[in-house]
Amino acid sequence: MRACWFPIVAFVLSGVGCREGAGAAVDPPAPSVFARTAAVMQLFESRCLQCHDSRKSRGGFDLSTRAKLLHGGESGPAVVPGSAPKSLLMRLVRHQQEPAMPRQGQKLTDEQIALVAAWIDAGVPYDRSLGKGNDNVAWWSLQPVKKPIPPSVDAKYPEWSRNPIDAFVLAKLQAAKLTPTPGAEPRTLLRRVYFDLIGLPPTPEEMDAFVAAWDSAGAKRQAVYEHVVERLLSSPHYGERWARHWMDVVHFAETHGHDQDVPREHAWPYRDYLIQSFNADKPYARFIQEQIAADVLFPDDAPATTALGFLAAGPWDESSLKDIREDSLDRKAGQYIDRDDMVGTVSLAFLSTTVQCARCHDHKFDPISQKEYYGMQAVFAGVDRANRAYDPDPGVRAQRLALQKRKQELQGGAPVAARLLKDAGVAARVSAWEQGLAKNAGWKVLDPVAFASAEGATLKKLEDGSVLSGGTKPERDTYTIEAVSSDTITALRLETLTDDSLPHRGPGRQDNGNLHLTEIKIAAAPAGAPMKRQPVAVARALADFNQDGWDIAKALDGQRGTAWGIYPAVGKPHAAVFVFKEPVSFPGGTRLTVTLEQLHGGGHLIGRARLSATSAAVTSADITLQPLPPHVQAILTKTARERTEAERATLAHYALTQIVDAELAALPKPRLVYAAATDFQADGSFRPAKGCRAVHVLKRGDVRFPLAPAAPGALGAVSGMDGALRIADPSKEGQRRAALARWVSDPKNALTWRSIVNRVWHYHFGRGLVATPNDFGRLGATPSHPELLDWLTATFQEDGGSLKNLHRRIVTSAAYMQDSRHRDAAARIDADNVLLWRMNVQRLDAESVRDAVLQIAGKLDLTMGGPSVKHFQQSPGIHRTPKVDYQAFDPDAPGGQRRSVYRFIFRTVPDPFMDALDCPDASQFTATRTVSVTALQALALLNDPFMVRMSEHFAKRLAGAGDVKQQVRQAYRLALNREPAEREATLLEKYATRHGMANACRVLLNSNEFAFIP
Amino acid sequence: MTHPQARRDFLWSLGGLGGIALADLLARQGLLADPPRPDPAFNGGLHHRARAKRVIQLFMNGGASQIDTFDYKPLLTRLHGQRFDPGEHVEAVTSTPGNLMRCPFPFRRHGQCGRWVSSVFPHLARHVDDIAFLMGVKSKSNVHGPASYLMNTGFILPGFPCLGAWLSFGLGNLSDNLPTFVVLPDARGLPYNNQGNFSPGFLPARHAGTMIRVNSPTPIAALHPPQNARHITRASEADGQTLLRELNQQHLLQNPGDSRLEARIAGYEMAARLQLHATEALDVTRETEATQRLYGLGQSPMEAFARSCLTARRLVERGVRFVQVWSGASGASNNWDNHTSILDELPAMARQTDQPIAALLTDLKSRGLLEDTLVVWSTEFGRMPFTQGVEGRDHNGGTSVGWLAGAGVRGGMAVGESDAWGWKSVSGHDVHDVHATILHLLGIDHERLTYRHNGSDRRLTDVHGHVVHEVLS
Repeated sequence: MRACWFPIVAFVLSGVGCREGAGAAVDPPAPSVFARTAAVMQLFESRCLQCHDSRKSRGGFDLSTRAKLLHGGESGPAVVPGSAPKSLLMRLVRHQQEPAMPRQGQKLTDEQIALVAAWIDAGVPYDRSLGKGNDNVAWWSLQPVKKPIPPSVDAKYPEWSRNPIDAFVLAKLQAAKLTPTPGAEPRTLLRRVYFDLIGLPPTPEEMDAFVAAWDSAGAKRQAVYEHVVERLLSSPHYGERWARHWMDVVHFAETHGHDQDVPREHAWPYRDYLIQSFNADKPYARFIQEQIAADVLFPDDAPATTALGFLAAGPWDESSLKDIREDSLDRKAGQYIDRDDMVGTVSLAFLSTTVQCARCHDHKFDPISQKEYYGMQAVFAGVDRANRAYDPDPGVRAQRLALQKRKQELQGGAPVAARLLKDAGVAARVSAWEQGLAKNAGWKVLDPVAFASAEGATLKKLEDGSVLSGGTKPERDTYTIEAVSSDTITALRLETLTDDSLPHRGPGRQDNGNLHLTEIKIAAAPAGAPMKRQPVAVARALADFNQDGWDIAKALDGQRGTAWGIYPAVGKPHAAVFVFKEPVSFPGGTRLTVTLEQLHGGGHLIGRARLSATSAAVTSADITLQPLPPHVQAILTKTARERTEAERATLAHYALTQIVDAELAALPKPRLVYAAATDFQADGSFRPAKGCRAVHVLKRGDVRFPLAPAAPGALGAVSGMDGALRIADPSKEGQRRAALARWVSDPKNALTWRSIVNRVWHYHFGRGLVATPNDFGRLGATPSHPELLDWLTATFQEDGGSLKNLHRRIVTSAAYMQDSRHRDAAARIDADNVLLWRMNVQRLDAESVRDAVLQIAGKLDLTMGGPSVKHFQQSPGIHRTPKVDYQAFDPDAPGGQRRSVYRFIFRTVPDPFMDALDCPDASQFTATRTVSVTALQALALLNDPFMVRMSEHFAKRLAGAGDVKQQVRQAYRLALNREPAEREATLLEKYATRHGMANACRVLLNSNEFAFIP
Repeated sequence: MTHPQARRDFLWSLGGLGGIALADLLARQGLLADPPRPDPAFNGGLHHRARAKRVIQLFMNGGASQIDTFDYKPLLTRLHGQRFDPGEHVEAVTSTPGNLMRCPFPFRRHGQCGRWVSSVFPHLARHVDDIAFLMGVKSKSNVHGPASYLMNTGFILPGFPCLGAWLSFGLGNLSDNLPTFVVLPDARGLPYNNQGNFSPGFLPARHAGTMIRVNSPTPIAALHPPQNARHITRASEADGQTLLRELNQQHLLQNPGDSRLEARIAGYEMAARLQLHATEALDVTRETEATQRLYGLGQSPMEAFARSCLTARRLVERGVRFVQVWSGASGASNNWDNHTSILDELPAMARQTDQPIAALLTDLKSRGLLEDTLVVWSTEFGRMPFTQGVEGRDHNGGTSVGWLAGAGVRGGMAVGESDAWGWKSVSGHDVHDVHATILHLLGIDHERLTYRHNGSDRRLTDVHGHVVHEVLS
């Protein structure tokens, strides 16, 4: 991003300085006309009214109206109209007397103090009453957008008459007695527009071609330039560049943040969604609607599901929302804070409004009530952040929906199957299924007749024949399970199953869901003579999953220090099979005693176990094969003719259920996107809301003091809009989001449409027409060019919300195409170039530095899309957060040379190189990046392994250019898009000859000229 | 149009490094407005006379048990093993509340003031007459993430500036050669929230803490070129600096009126100085053997933390404004998060830190540095008076203990208290009060150090905070 180096200011004072004592001789009670009353009013509103309005009036002092000001407070009259020197207020704001004012924040500037003095001298005129409720309706950003007619353009500046933007800009310049700067040289212009639109510099060939065309175009230069603009806007790299800006706005990163900063391996589809959306020039209203409620508003557009990554882009507190006790206050607080982030994401990104300020109390400056804030929270009462499944292929999606429907139908039980069996095709599938059964091992669940924990855990038998462990969690334990079988047994299977009561759903009881089976011992006895028990020898063991270093053989090695484990494949069932050396069989049945020793410690215990046995030979394919339930086994022992109608239906029901499950499993796996989700796999006690959670207005924002329930809603203050959301069935969470999406994207919502136009302007010029792109409220800046903002907004809406048209309009304006050179005379009038008497010089943002260096070094890999590249080595951490080592990453590693937008962003351990260049860590919403210059930044650009390696590649690339002179020339053309001056060339050549070209390249890439785009 | 903040941004745009030099540069050019600047009349404070010029904060990551260290609760000895029934709802965030558990370590009175300290801190106990204890500091959360953010930034959410960043923003640097704000993480790893705890939040990035891994061969990232870059030599670096300066000066002549260009030139010069001075400052072998022994260098198990403490002293001595020293990495062990066994886990952590912290106080005092250096001992929350499992304790945001020593602090005293069980704070001090007090000692009114972000004038203390006047000398 082209970062803004302008300050964020609460108010913009028009003009510089103020004549002290102007109008001092005015008769006190009658205020004179004072040209800058509005500025004083704004100053009071931003700095004084927090404490001295009609509600608070600290020290008994209220300055919301002239009468109240004149009345004064506990310390007496605050002002003597017409005499600043005699006014108490002046002594307080000058810090000549206590209490120094304003109490909060910085002292007023000299200019501000002078302004107030002049205003007092002018007789303290008010142009309105100040404070809440008085003139909120009149606040600029809440007013409907009206399309003004562009002013007529002075004939002295013919090139400023082409584009209506310029008419507005020029009018303001001329009113301030400023003149615009002539157009920039073609080299400057091309480099500027390349970085701006695609985030990369032009190649030397592109530069040569452009300059040649420009020079020979004569009067048609504008067309030559516009041709380039078209090419850049249709380049796929445009989407990469502008998606990255949006990622700042929504604080997108790929880990949770907080103390359990777990990577989100499926967050990237949202980034690809952004890139594709920008490249497709998706209408802005649709862009909004998809990000808030794609699943509800566009259910048939499956890929749009990825847009919901928007609501999940911010941090997520895994400890509070998953790991601590579900019934704790901290859990509840975590949920409110989680929704708060979603409210912030929507209101800042789309509305440029600081709704979150109303969390503890009504907004102090803007017309937003606490009730409205919690109304917006209630919109998100049913969503969480989780991996959300979607099928990018519509065909697969249709199949999955059909199978899921069939599965649901089958939940009607055997009668459904009986009906389905009338279809000959279905009957044939059922009998084919039965024939297929004969080919496998046919596990039969062993019904436990006795089971015990040696250390006092509570074992409970469940309906499916499994045993669930609960209650006390000992460090170590041994379970003994006994079962009787009438068959010959060739192998025993131990399933470790999941359960919602277990951490991470198990199958282990350890906090991380793991278990360790130290040793399994199997003994057999005749069913009628349990005392004649003999150990059973196991020939081999198989498992569906083995933890690294903890394979199933460890459960049979007689070692107490080794065991079978299943980490990190927790949250899913596992199975191990023990094939006996000799089949075991006793006339009259066999009583098996299975001892499960779990002696590792730390509570690595089996959470839920089930035993089954087979009489057949076992292959690895059989390990996880579902056992047939006893009632199905019973039916299968009969021939088809012996079965009753009901038995046939029961069997068919079972078979069809199995078939549907198998077909579902055979479909291509759904893709996952980390997004707002309502239906996702539960992880411990973090589970879908299944409806809407209760959201209350909280007294002082404190979860301990809930007030009335909050109804889903939006903001009431936008002129011409109703703050109430029309929701047919508010119990459906999706309808809540859909209604908000429609409200935000409503053509009448002035906040929304001005917001995006201002953001786009900000990125092009380095400063928005409103200097605070996230705050259009009273603490934000007011527009420098209100008519221009409205003209652009109205035109953008007429265009159907086409961002590309907006870019086109802006970058082809004379204002944008100006040179950026400094002029003392102009700077004396407008030092910060708010009125755009020249183009702003901007420092390259972190991503542009890195991408440009890669391109210049000849190493840029332009592969688009897909999982993000981790510019670090990741290894397991002690707890949930992995260890991350950026230094161990090889800059030449595969993927390491792709564009920075594909970089994996780790919230709590930012990339030190990008960090030094002011790349935000995505903890906060970033509307404008800061631009700092630090010694650490210098060190990063000099010494980071990436920079050092790329300098070497750059030098190698130059080797083919010829002698040192030629190489230096080519280096300048690549890095700075120009030929070196003679003196520069000499210096560089000398240095390169002495210390090598790689060092020379490194110097060039550290130069100010490379870092700043004029 | 004047934007004081913009001038200020130029001025301090060299961050910790060289703010003063650049300020001079710009002042000569008449670019200075009047942002709140350290005022010599206030001894470098912003709003009133500063008592402290620099701070060393020792942060015990995980939630150090107040009951087993500084908060003596005889009642627990009496009620040991009994069910905890305070007459209101009791909950613990990661476990089912167990029975009450006494401190397994003997408590004894120490110093002239007679403060109670348990036997886990034998060295530190000798310094109680220099320490002001905050006995009932409550948190807003019982969870590491939010509580650590709160203790560091005043907010339970990520993205807010930490204390060190606020000081860098408000007071700037004391030295042109070293960073303003330094973080020394535990040798075993980063704390809960990783670098989120020392983030500059929405303040300009230059106010971020510079992480120095004192126990690593490359303590500061990118301080020097990678070892395998053989083409970079001492001579190529020296000539390279000269060449870069020449190119940049030429560019500056052609592009007048942009102070950022000058700032960036100065940034490279400061980088060179940092290379020189950081290397010297981090070399603890330059200390006398007696000093090294005092801290516990070369002695197990305090070696690593001793190195951090001694480095902290060397850094503040050389002009670093704020050093944050961490004890404990995130995770199930090697920190103060003693869920499983107070008896086993707490003494191990105490032994690692006791002698080094005591040595730091001794050393600062003998050098006269304690006069204007504030030492702060903090943790994110306390622990429960009842057991978790057999002999552990769960998180307790209800109360915890922290302490201050040094510049402007009245030693040998304690302020605030917890209830009879050590379950909840009675006096109700919170982290905002601690922050307000620290800022006060540095000459800052915590309500007046603000920065506007997304529509709010943000403060370290949010809308809370009262200076704890009792601890001021």
